[in-house]
This record gives sequence, structure tokens and C-alpha cells, in this order.
Amino acid sequence: MMYILEKKNVDQTLSEWSAKYEVYTPQKVEAYSQFLPFTESSELALNEPLNTRYPPKSLFLPQSEVMLKYNKRLNKFDEIKILPEKRIIFGIRPCDASAITLLDTVFDTDEYQDPYWTERRENTILVGLGCSEPPSTCFCTTVGYGPFNQDGLDALMTELDDVYVVEILSDKGQKLFSNFPASSKDQEQSVLNIQLKAKDLMEPAFETENLKQTLDQLFESDYWSEIAESCLGCGICTFLCPTCFCFDIVDEVQRNERIRNWDTCMFRIYSQEASGHNPRPTRAERTRQRLMHKYSYWLDHIDKIGCTGCGRCVRHCPVGLDIRAMLRAASNFEREVVNVG
Amino acid sequence: MPELTTELRKNIEQLLTDQVVDVVIAFKKADAPLRPQPAFFRNLEELEDLEYNGLCQNNLANYLTRYPHDTKIGIVVRGCESRSVNALIVEKQHPRENLYMIGIPCQGILDIRKIIKKTGEDVTGYSEDGDQVSVVYEGKEVNLQRSDLLHDSCLRCAHPNPVNADVLLGEPLPDGDPTIVRLAIEEFEALDRDERYAWFQKEAERCIRCYACREACPMCYCTECFVDHATPRWTESDISQAGTQAWHIIRAFHQAGRCTSCGACERACPMDIKMTYLTDKLNNDMLEVYQFETGMDDNTQPPFASFNLDDKNRFVI
Ligand code: SF4
Ligand code: SF4
Ligand code: SF4
Ligand code: SF4
Ligand code: SF4
Repeated sequence: MMYILEKKNVDQTLSEWSAKYEVYTPQKVEAYSQFLPFTESSELALNEPLNTRYPPKSLFLPQSEVMLKYNKRLNKFDEIKILPEKRIIFGIRPCDASAITLLDTVFDTDEYQDPYWTERRENTILVGLGCSEPPSTCFCTTVGYGPFNQDGLDALMTELDDVYVVEILSDKGQKLFSNFPASSKDQEQSVLNIQLKAKDLMEPAFETENLKQTLDQLFESDYWSEIAESCLGCGICTFLCPTCFCFDIVDEVQRNERIRNWDTCMFRIYSQEASGHNPRPTRAERTRQRLMHKYSYWLDHIDKIGCTGCGRCVRHCPVGLDIRAMLRAASNFEREVVNVG
Repeated sequence: MPELTTELRKNIEQLLTDQVVDVVIAFKKADAPLRPQPAFFRNLEELEDLEYNGLCQNNLANYLTRYPHDTKIGIVVRGCESRSVNALIVEKQHPRENLYMIGIPCQGILDIRKIIKKTGEDVTGYSEDGDQVSVVYEGKEVNLQRSDLLHDSCLRCAHPNPVNADVLLGEPLPDGDPTIVRLAIEEFEALDRDERYAWFQKEAERCIRCYACREACPMCYCTECFVDHATPRWTESDISQAGTQAWHIIRAFHQAGRCTSCGACERACPMDIKMTYLTDKLNNDMLEVYQFETGMDDNTQPPFASFNLDDKNRFVI
């Protein structure tokens, strides 16, 4: 079933939803965009070809989050209400929605359920916006996703002249859009064409077949120190990444709070042990961890690549390190070694 | 600047062939057209990829502290970079005799944000010729003026010519106008207290504590930064107001008399946060109070690092 949301009605629709839900939309901040709560004065950034710079994973795994408050004197804990509202995330890109399904396999497993994650997931409706004109730095199709991938979404919008055509992908989505006008057969055909064309526009960025084996074989090689020589060891590529989920739990004793902050394998202190020993002493081992996690360990874990090709790390690395080029270099590096041998 | 790149390549070739240096730190072409990459040349074949243009964003002096002191390093330096190298020599981070500075009088670094504001983010090609810059956006060529795209730090640059370089490629440029340096500071100082605080809050509180500003800065080479210190903890660890504000203030203070106003920190920031307004102000204080400018030679200690038993001023604590 497909419905129509007219572009001129977007603002009004979002304000109506706001009465019942907390609504998040991509909005402009300086030269970038970020998901922020919708208000009447919000400047929506739906027409950008790129996804938001700050990743929407933060709406499920906030960068800093209070897990509990304590009162040392009274020796008691205060309960933290995790999510007061039902939410709609409007205009999330397919790569970011699929990333959330990857993170489900970390925070919501048969064995462990992270209540902060699961409660937010249950109470959130994800309305996606597909990418008719995929930017050159995106490579979702290379890693098994795509500009109209449906994973994790309750509804998916395709832009068509002055309307969004909405495909319903779950009961939650159906409920939200059931009062909207239905789309015509012609519109549905156009949507199909747009979706196919977008996918075709994207060329493969690197070879994924045997990539895991290649990386595994390179584990002890010089490849890592070669590619990581210019790396600064900052948090950009991992903090902006929709699939990176490492965190650090800290007691902010002066505030009587236990909090959880995003952490990253690219920081030196991430792997620093209490003894002072650091098993990942240089940026080479840290870069190895980042790439191996996405392109090898995730495959061990769920047989899927742990990168959805959103391109953020490519666009925002301050020294121009491009994960696509690094992975191409991995395949070439191995060939060189094999040739020499 | 293809001619300059060719001249630079010749120069580096000579240094490597004559074994004057073990490695040359410069830039190379990257796949992303807007981001040439810092590169480390050890042999002649690699030099094909050498690049030098207005998009070379980083301060290469940043990499000096990664090498043992006996490594002979060649390094491409613009005005601010040469002064950062000098400041690092003063701080005993590498001996001068094991350094070879290839100086380039600097026309200024372009701000990627100013480019994408005019076009859009997905730029797929770039070239420059004198004051003309041309980028490819959505398959079409867009012509821009170099002077409209300069990074704010470069608009305010006082010393575009490398200081103490071993060789200079290109003609020296006139020095910058110090009143322009002061303009931005005066503008900030003219605000009242609440406005200044609002400005500071708007910038500092967007911070995601990725520390790219720190990692991009040649002077932030501490093995353990104060924010990473756990016992005692100097700041809140999270992106709270207190945490982000403390990071911005203390980082800036650690730069007093050490920063060369290169702007590499600001260019690295993923959240478009302004921060040179703090360090530039401190630099200006250093100049006015102590007549000191960072890196103008390679032996004068910065005021806050030097002490003198005969100091006629009492130490304030
Ligand atoms: S963003 Fe770039 S410089 Fe920063 S850690 Fe990642 S690869 Fe290294
Ligand atoms: S590794 Fe890079 S491209 Fe892949 S999901 Fe993370 S930020 Fe996006
Ligand atoms: S990676 Fe694919 S889904 Fe994500 S923004 Fe780019 S084109 Fe869209
Ligand atoms: S603080 Fe910023 S402007 Fe100053 S030297 Fe460091 S990177 Fe350059
Ligand atoms: S680079 Fe920007 S976001 Fe990152 S720590 Fe520095 S100011 Fe904060």
C-alpha cells in the first residue's frame, strides 16, 4: 500500500503529529544538519542530497546518557525515566535505519536486553526518506544495502515532484499514514523507476568478496601502519558512524550520576589498561580494529558487514582517509605480498 | 598550483636522492577531491602522488612529534607551519639539525565549508589557477574566487612567509596587516558580557568531544591530555555544558604563547565550531603584554614556560 504526503503539507503534518509524538527531523545547524525536535520554526533539511552529519543513532544511544542517579548520604538510587514520549523520526536515510537494525543485534539479544535501547526502539516510528540522487561519497550498494533499502523502517518515502510517495512497511507505519490519500498506479510506477535508477547510479566502490579473508590475512602485516600513517586518532570517523556503538561508563561523582558516553577505538586511552600497558599502542592497531570490526568481526557475529556505506567517515575525516580507498588497498596489498612470495 | 608542485617534487627528489633526510612530510592526492592527504615520502616512486594546493588543510608540524629525535625529517612548511616547527624545536620536540624545512610563502588555505556553502556538499572535482578556483558540482563546473574562500585564520594571517626555512620555493609575500588580526578580537570584545557568554555557549556546547581539534594541533602532543586523566578528573567526561565548556577553555589556555593561529583545529572540527577566537585573543595578549609571537625564532621560550630567579615581578598564586 502506498500513500501520498504532499510537500506543502509536510509542516502541518509534522505539527499535527507533534501533539501526540515527539517528532525529530533533519535540521540545518551551521553548514551541517542534525536530527532535532520539530517546532514551528524549524528549518527542515529534507532536500539535502546527504544524510545528516551527526548520526541519528544518537536518538537511541545518546552520546552521553545518565544511567542512574544516586544519593550517597541516604544510600539510595533514583529511578531514571528513559523515554517519556512516543517518537517519530521523520526523514531518516536508509543507511541509518539499517544501521539501527545492526545495533539491535548488540543491544537487544536473546541473552541481553539493554532497557535504554529497547524502550526507545519500541516507542519510535521510523519514517525513511530514500535517496533519489545518491552522493558520490555514499556506497550503500557496495556493502549490501541501497538508497531505498527498507531494513528497520516503518515507512519509506520517495520524492516525486511535489509529493512524497509513502510505502508502508509495518503496522506502525500503516497506523500513522492510514488517513492519507492513496497514490495512483502511475505514481507507483514512477517510484519504482526512481528507485531502480538510483541504485544503478551507484558504482561498486570496492570488492567485498573475500574481503574478510583478505583482512584476516593482513592482521600482522605492515598494511595497517601504511594506511594509518596520517591518521590523527580523533573520534570523527567513529562518532559520526551510524554503526559504531562503543561506550564508556563513568561515575560523575560530583553530580552523583553514573553516565554512559560514546567511546571510540581510535582513542589511545580506549585500550589503555590500568597497568599502563596498551595492547593497541599506535594508530595502526587502532585503525586495524576499526576496519576489522566492520569488515571482519561483524561477519563473525551476524554474517553481515558492519558498515552501511553512509559515507560520513569518508566526508569528514580531517586528513582525507577514505575507507573505500583503504579497503581497495587491502586487496592490492595482499596481491603484492602473494606476488612477492 | 601545478608549477609549484613540480618545483616541490624536484626539491624533495633531490633531498631523498642525496639522503639529506629519511622522510619528507608533505601532501598527496586523495580520492576525495577536497581533501589532499598528509603523506610521508621515503622513496622517489611515491612522489608521483605529491600534491600542493589551497586545500591542504592540515598543519604538517603535527607529525613531527611522532618521530625519534634522530630521524632526519624534511617537512613542507607554510608560514604558520614553520612557526609551529620552531615552537616545537623550542620545546625540544625535535633537534633543529635533524630538520629540513622546505618553505612555501603561503597564499592561504581554502575553507571547505565556504566552498560547499556556495555549491553543495558533494563536490567531485577541483582545480585552481591564480585567484580562480573551479570545482565540479553535480557534473557542472562552478567557478569561484579564491579570495572568497580563504579560511578565516588565513584572512587574518600576519606572517605568510616561512620563518627559518632551509629553502624557499616562490617569492616572499608581503606581511599581513596586524589591524586585521585585531579586528575579530575587537569585535568579540565589543560584545557585552552576556553576549560573549552566549557566543561561547553556542560554539562550545555543540562540541561532541571527538578531540579532532586537539589531534590536528601540532602543540597538543601531551601523551595524556587533561581530559583523559581519570584520577583526579579535571573535567566532566560527557557532552554536558560543564564538560564541553571546560574542554574549550582549558584547551585554549594550554595554547597561550604556543599557538601560531594556523586554524588547523577549526578546520578539523566536524561540528563547524569556532575556536580560534579564543586562541587568537590569547596570542594577542602574549604580543601586547610580553611582546612575544610564537615561533618567530627557534630559541625563545614562550612567556608561560620561562622563569627567571631575578624576576622583578612577584609570582602570583
Ligand atoms: S577521522 Fe580520520 S584522522 Fe580521525 S581517527 Fe578517523 S581515520 Fe583517523
Ligand atoms: S564505516 Fe564509514 S561509511 Fe561505514 S557506516 Fe561507518 S561512517 Fe558510514
Ligand atoms: S549511503 Fe545510501 S542510503 Fe545512505 S545516504 Fe547514501 S545513498 Fe542514501
Ligand atoms: S590551537 Fe589551533 S590555531 Fe593554534 S596552533 Fe593549534 S591547531 Fe593551530
Ligand atoms: S573538533 Fe570540534 S567537536 Fe571535536 S572536540 Fe574539538 S571542538 Fe569539539
